Amino acid sequence: MKCKICPREAVEKGYCELHLKAYEIVVKKYGLWNKALEISWKEYLRQIAMNPLTGEWAKEVTEYLIKSGEQ
Amino acid sequence: MLVVRAKMGKYTLIITEKPDAAQRIADALDTKGKAKKKEENGVPYYYASRDKEIVVVPAVGHLYTVADEKTGRNYYPAFNFKWVPRYAAEKGAKHIRAWLETISKLAIEADSFIDACDYDIEGSIIGYTILKYACGNREKSSKRMKYSTLTKGELEKSYNEALPHLDFSLIEAGRARHEVDWLYGINLSRAMTIAAKNWSGMYATLSTGRVQGPTLRFLVAREKTVRSFVPIPFWSIKAKIEVAGSIFETEYEKKVVDTKKEADAVVDACKGKDGKIAKIEVKKFEQAPPTPFDLGSLQSEAYSLFGYTPMRTSSIAQRLYLDALISYPRTSSQKLPPTIGYEAILKNLSNVREYSKLAAELLAKSTLQPREGKKEDPAHPAIYPTGNLPEKPLEGQEKNIWNLVVRRFMAVFGEPAMRQSVNVHVNVNEHVFFLRGRRILKEGWLRFYEPFVRSEEVLLPEVEEGQPVSVKQVILEDKFTKPPPRYNPSSLLRKMEEAEIGTKATRAEMIQTLYDRKYVRDERIAVTDLGFEIIEVLKKYCPALVSIRLTKELEERMNRIQLDNEKRENILMDAVDILKPVIENLKEKEDEIGRQLSDAVKKAKLEERTIGTCPKCNTGKLMILYSRKSGKRFVGCTNFFKGLCKTSFPLPQKGLVRPLGRNCRGCGWPTVQIRLRGKRPWNLCFNPVCPLKEEWKKKVEVQDMS
Repeated sequence: MKCKICPREAVEKGYCELHLKAYEIVVKKYGLWNKALEISWKEYLRQIAMNPLTGEWAKEVTEYLIKSGEQ
Repeated sequence: MLVVRAKMGKYTLIITEKPDAAQRIADALDTKGKAKKKEENGVPYYYASRDKEIVVVPAVGHLYTVADEKTGRNYYPAFNFKWVPRYAAEKGAKHIRAWLETISKLAIEADSFIDACDYDIEGSIIGYTILKYACGNREKSSKRMKYSTLTKGELEKSYNEALPHLDFSLIEAGRARHEVDWLYGINLSRAMTIAAKNWSGMYATLSTGRVQGPTLRFLVAREKTVRSFVPIPFWSIKAKIEVAGSIFETEYEKKVVDTKKEADAVVDACKGKDGKIAKIEVKKFEQAPPTPFDLGSLQSEAYSLFGYTPMRTSSIAQRLYLDALISYPRTSSQKLPPTIGYEAILKNLSNVREYSKLAAELLAKSTLQPREGKKEDPAHPAIYPTGNLPEKPLEGQEKNIWNLVVRRFMAVFGEPAMRQSVNVHVNVNEHVFFLRGRRILKEGWLRFYEPFVRSEEVLLPEVEEGQPVSVKQVILEDKFTKPPPRYNPSSLLRKMEEAEIGTKATRAEMIQTLYDRKYVRDERIAVTDLGFEIIEVLKKYCPALVSIRLTKELEERMNRIQLDNEKRENILMDAVDILKPVIENLKEKEDEIGRQLSDAVKKAKLEERTIGTCPKCNTGKLMILYSRKSGKRFVGCTNFFKGLCKTSFPLPQKGLVRPLGRNCRGCGWPTVQIRLRGKRPWNLCFNPVCPLKEEWKKKVEVQDMS
């Protein structure tokens, strides 16, 4: 099975090894954003998708999550 | 015909690593100080007269290399090798034949031999292979000149007191390095190249090696962190206060405030309130002089001061060494032994107007004691100026590096500097802000290193505890954590040094190879898709070969050969034992690897031609394309093929075109660099109405008018 984002083989949760790592970081960092700004998951995704410091793979995962509505 | 040889009879043949060194040595040893230059087949050699006749002939770096015993490149594994002339193994090394023929002819009439190549691993191998293969097995009877500068005095001494034989431990260590590197490089590179070619039918050189793999792995690890990075918000608070009629910026005691709620609360509490100086902390501290340069620290300093890559610094330093202006640069020593003659060097330097006062100041000291670092090198001291002055004024890069070496040399003899830091605690409604100042109390060594000292003074007015201050403004700054910085060539070199992989002579070149192979790009090193795939393949199918720990262990074992604690043969046998199962595994999975690498090569080739987003349609990519009719190259939008965008621009038909990876600072359009042989590279923006072009046109018009 291919990764949800790129042509690599998916290893878990439909992501390749590289995007899986980025996905895990996106999920993990929500706790810190919520503590800092008291924002929802959706708003968090919107914010990091716009942030120029967000890494390329994390951004791809975020955009996918926004589009698909997956948690 | 070798006319000189026929006339003069028996002589001593001295072999050097480079032509410049040959001339310096010949001039230094000639009683009249002017050796006669001869040439055969474009190969120079020098005739000097001393206690006996001397012929000095140079090499041009390595004349021999390790090569496969069998011919052909399309197979692996390859475990049998031999040392051969470079022209027999490398395409671009035809000129080596003339060099070897000349040396061999000169060796016939020589009755004694001296190896005067640089005293390090590479130099020892160069001298050894020439004496063994080109001079008819003279390696055992040859003497060895050992020197760290190409000054007349030191060269004469090293000739008069030449070591009775070559340093065979160093040679064995060098042979082991070359042979192990060949075994790793040839087998892994061929496995990958052949796998990709068999899968796609297209040839692309893919290489990796004993040091290259682990180095790329460092970069991949950092790249993964950067690309997966998610920033976290935080806040910092500043207050502008007025003291003695001037405004100063103070920082809130917590540099990082984690929540917006807390940050807002602090700002609300401090706004409109005045403060009071609660405490003044004054600290004095000594700053010891720097240690002398070894190659790594010189490369690092030159990168941060002038932006020179490690490889460039290395070659500039080599040039200065060959001009006898600095000592041998490929050293890992941070020691300056008294035998180099501190006083004489400083006396000579005092003849340069720029250094005269500083050198005189040091010469007036009762003793000259350098501050030294811990690192040692058995063969050479740290890098220092020889005291010889440039025969003609140095310019540009050479001037910068020489000045840096001279000033660092003087600085290590300086007194410690004394600095003072002041931290004023300002209490604003029970919240503390810091006002920080720093100044130099005693310059000490900083005076000698002055143009290169990076520390600004922040002077504060006289204040006392209890003094009220007026708060003019409280500023709340929204911030985000940043990803770790990508390596640059200098920080990567330091990382390799710390991890003890590679040698001081090869690290800079290794970094360049990663660029040449297109595994990485840009000054802030970013790994390309091809670089990722190479590491993925190596990690998946031969993890031991990219293991930093195993690479370091192998380095340590090879270093032990120099100390006679390890045998070259053992290391070679172990290397083959490690490689055999790995290669078998690679062969078994050749199809899978081939597909993975071919895709990456295709993507890399596409990436090489992609210039950036089309500024007209904003959805397509501008790419370098070739016209089917005329074969000419141009830039076109990928949306043309979908019938959506017809944007295209002409390109110069000569030279190399390379996407710059950044947009024009004038208009934001993508840019390329054009490189023409013998000309300075120039950057090209495609926007016909780019404001920078307009500015430039105006400038030209004004020049023409004036």
